[in-house]
Amino acid sequence: MAGLPRRIIKETQRLMAEPVAGITAIPDEQNARYFHVVVAGPSQSPYEGGLFKLELFLPEEYPMSAPKVRFMTKIYHPNIDKLGRICLDILKDKWSPALQIRTVLLSIQALLSAPNPDDPLDNSVAEHWKTNEKSAIDQARQWTQLHARANNVNSH
Amino acid sequence: MGACVCKDKNQDPPITQAEESDSSSHASTNRQRDQNNFGSSSTTSFDTSDNRRHRHHHRSHNNQRQHHSSSRRSRDAEKEDVDRLVLETLSVIRTLVDNAQEPPLAMLILHKIADCDQGWLNVVKSLIRVIPMEDPLGPAVIALLLDECPLPTKDALLELKSHLNLAEMELAQTYCKPCQKRNICVLLGCLAEKLAGPHSISLLTSDILTFLIQHLKPENHPVVILHSMVALEKFAQTSENKLRITQALQHCDVHPMTLLEGWYTRDNDNTPLSYSRREVGFCAGWCLDNLFIKEGRPFSYEQLDRSHLNVMLNSNDVSEYLKISADGLEARCDASSFESVRCTFQVDSGVWYYEVTIVTDGVMQIGWATKDSKFLNHDGCGIGDDEFSMAYDGCRQLIWYHAQSELHTHPCWKPGDILGLLLDLENQYLIFYLNGDPLPSYKQLFTHARTGFFAAASFMSFQQCEFNFGEKQFRYPPPRAFKTFNQYGRLLPEEKIVLPRHQKMALMNQFVVSEDACTLCFDNIADTQLLDCGHRGFCEVCAIQLEKCPICRKEILERVRCHSDTRSPTPGLVLLQTPVV
Repeated sequence: MAGLPRRIIKETQRLMAEPVAGITAIPDEQNARYFHVVVAGPSQSPYEGGLFKLELFLPEEYPMSAPKVRFMTKIYHPNIDKLGRICLDILKDKWSPALQIRTVLLSIQALLSAPNPDDPLDNSVAEHWKTNEKSAIDQARQWTQLHARANNVNSH
Repeated sequence: MGACVCKDKNQDPPITQAEESDSSSHASTNRQRDQNNFGSSSTTSFDTSDNRRHRHHHRSHNNQRQHHSSSRRSRDAEKEDVDRLVLETLSVIRTLVDNAQEPPLAMLILHKIADCDQGWLNVVKSLIRVIPMEDPLGPAVIALLLDECPLPTKDALLELKSHLNLAEMELAQTYCKPCQKRNICVLLGCLAEKLAGPHSISLLTSDILTFLIQHLKPENHPVVILHSMVALEKFAQTSENKLRITQALQHCDVHPMTLLEGWYTRDNDNTPLSYSRREVGFCAGWCLDNLFIKEGRPFSYEQLDRSHLNVMLNSNDVSEYLKISADGLEARCDASSFESVRCTFQVDSGVWYYEVTIVTDGVMQIGWATKDSKFLNHDGCGIGDDEFSMAYDGCRQLIWYHAQSELHTHPCWKPGDILGLLLDLENQYLIFYLNGDPLPSYKQLFTHARTGFFAAASFMSFQQCEFNFGEKQFRYPPPRAFKTFNQYGRLLPEEKIVLPRHQKMALMNQFVVSEDACTLCFDNIADTQLLDCGHRGFCEVCAIQLEKCPICRKEILERVRCHSDTRSPTPGLVLLQTPVV
């Protein structure tokens, strides 16, 4: 917690005060650079009805370098691999310090609405998407039921 | 270097013996590499090797199919196999000191095995069964291997819970040894940390909660108590769990942690058990101050006489997860990252000496660092891992400088040992002593830094030590003239307070930024305009770090000073187009 930058404090305050619809991002109690994120699957996407847990970490150089984000809930998506890593340009070369945690999470939500099999991270999923989109979407829907169902989260 | 295997390796996965002999396996160096390096998870490593990606996936399919049939055939043989691989990983892990080194073969094979549910369970069960009590790296290896393996599925977790069957007497027979109970606690803690959120909530069944709280009872082995407490702490990272744990603790006749807190002492007799009890006491006190706050109990910092303290570990110059005692002289890490800290006092000339009491005998890198030394806790880098710091590692028997290590001639350290550290800035060398026995002097550190040194240290998981900056007598003062930090250091009363984390967070949340602050850092006044594009709203410090305008992405040709009150009315944050994918 080495003198947390004002930028991070400011963003955290705003995230708490004006949360984004369908997204919760809560800083870890012990590490203000680490956020527990839950993104609701967008409606009319195969992820609808799912709650996806992500972790978001603000590295030392933030905002000069991008936050590190990854899915912790299994998801069937051509731009997200089985380790939860996300293929999103603004997290890589298109990062700009004017972007924020908020905008990053919105982009990820948008990525769930619009998978892009032409720029895949997981090739076999992308292949599936391109050769048989309907079946791939079914599969994504199944995985959502299996791993991310909202009412399943607190059971067991 | 913390857990070295977690470092980024920019090379192709090795074609290992295992791959040749076992066609079902797949190279998992990639996965393993990125897993630990949380999120640095560069897609670029994949982009460069399409065929590898293909192979990777193809094989993993095969793997699952073959695995199932083989597990029917010879489950016992496989069990022994996994046990052997786990022990092998444990035995070679201490030799992993170089970034360029391959991860041990045993570890790679374990990743492959853990790729399906059954395999993951086999690895996890084996970790519980075979990691011994004595090895100082045991718990750290559990954390490391779990971190390297793929995330468990819900089914795997369910099966693990039913296998552990913590409510039943069966456990007493299957996993009755203290070391196995400890391993269960370490495992649960790691999973709780890794799965923080809904999965951590579902993992903390009432059986597991009861198991962990039962094992806080003083009659248990101190090491089991310690790791039960750390596991609870990790479950409490998810606030719903924290609430449940706090309630459960309050329902005990006596709050277990207030009992255990009393175990803390700095006058240990020289038995390992005495130091284990000290660890328990430290963690109990820390939990009560920071996490499971008990009504009516004053915070440690409120009760402490700090008048004699002129130098402490700097609670504003520390990586996120390190635990620091209220007097700022003892530190501990229970996270899976490599946590670092510097002291409050800087030395620029003269001869200086301080001592450290070793509480745990695992990996710590203790030495000297300037402010330029970076704490890259998530990359496993700390003191001794850049050109601005040098450190002694008594577990792997190494001296670290610039992320390179060389062997030293001291025996492995053990709890109770005293590490002495001497810095001679006049003649530019430093000497490390173990219980008064000096190593030859080292000079390398002074090629990049001449002044501005601090006492500093890095800690791997579950490690702890105590610093003596001269406020009490040294055990092995070197036979020469030297100065001590505590003689020369000065701290304001408010600088001596190590605030509990929740209080620190609350303080932070109170601050407000001024209207004309830089839209990137909020630290300075926005007084710089970027040309050609003309966008404003940035301070000079940020502007010089930029190559392109953060708003329009135009190349920056010039940065000019402007009046803050004339800056563009709308901060760029909302204007930027954010192309997806």
